[in-house]
Amino acid sequence: MTQPIPWLDGPLWPYLALLVFAVLPTEIWRWLAVAFARRIDPDSPALEWVRAVATALLAGIVAKLIVAPPGALAAVPLFIRVAALAATLAVMLVDRRRLLFAVLAGEAVLIGGAWLAASA
Amino acid sequence: MALAGMRDALSLPAWVVGFGLVGIGSLARDVGYPVEVAVLSTILVWAGPSQVIFFASIATGAAWSAIALAIGFASLRFLPMTVAIMPLLQRPGQSVRMQLLLAHYVAVTAWTEGLRRLPGMPPHQRVVYFLAFANTCMLVSSIGTFLGYYLLGELPIPLAAGLLCLTPIFFLASLSAGLRHRGDIVAIVLGLALAPICDRFIGGGFDLIVAGLVAGTIAFFFRPRKRGP
Repeated sequence: MTQPIPWLDGPLWPYLALLVFAVLPTEIWRWLAVAFARRIDPDSPALEWVRAVATALLAGIVAKLIVAPPGALAAVPLFIRVAALAATLAVMLVDRRRLLFAVLAGEAVLIGGAWLAASA
Repeated sequence: MALAGMRDALSLPAWVVGFGLVGIGSLARDVGYPVEVAVLSTILVWAGPSQVIFFASIATGAAWSAIALAIGFASLRFLPMTVAIMPLLQRPGQSVRMQLLLAHYVAVTAWTEGLRRLPGMPPHQRVVYFLAFANTCMLVSSIGTFLGYYLLGELPIPLAAGLLCLTPIFFLASLSAGLRHRGDIVAIVLGLALAPICDRFIGGGFDLIVAGLVAGTIAFFFRPRKRGP
């Protein structure tokens, strides 16, 4: 558990932490985009690199949530968690517009698998 | 136009985001933060990955600087995304405050749906439509986050696990929905593979950033050099 910064600790700490360490680093890019919208070329190599890193980071978050999952998800065997991702990916590879169907397929594998594993 | 925005949001996207953010509530509860912070994170951050990194990193004891850095990098995508959508929403005489407000709603859902639907709409109706659409998504998601905070602990394990797993499943589905070229595929595959490896060898909560930078930079060189017509 990350401890609060001592001299800022108090009942309002969670709010402050959220604003400084989550809202600010997220929102700043939206603000910068508004400020520089006319001067940024969306196709420049720098932005391509940024997009690649952001995509990899998101994939990394997915992997971390599956390999070292929070709470109740940890009670489900790893191969079922991976199978759920695979099911989602399989549907998306067949038709990229079937987002809902892909999510439902992954969920069906996970919940069904977890149920079978729990009752086995 | 406002009604059309609400209707389109409720036709599916709002539910997907809303359910996807249910897990945030339980993550926040796991680290002992109040429910208000969980719901505020949905309204003020409005970016699932940032919220997941925030609460999940606190749970693993990452340094605050590492948390902010990881969130900053994960959110860099909003820069090109916002740059791409703002021209569709800008109107003559629009205030900067209004533009900042509009930019705040830029996230996977409103962005992809906005880019798809706004161009076919008369410019003067777009802002109202976009705000109605995005606010409906945000309202449903706030309720989802709130319910997740209290409900997830009470559910049988398979269902609770299913709700928690919505976040990674939804991210992966959105990522693959946004694929543009082989560089994106390399980024996703390497990101998936490197993150658990870095997790084992790099401490202090910097593992995610390192994995993202390495995988993203390699993927960058796999992008197509010349754009087709």
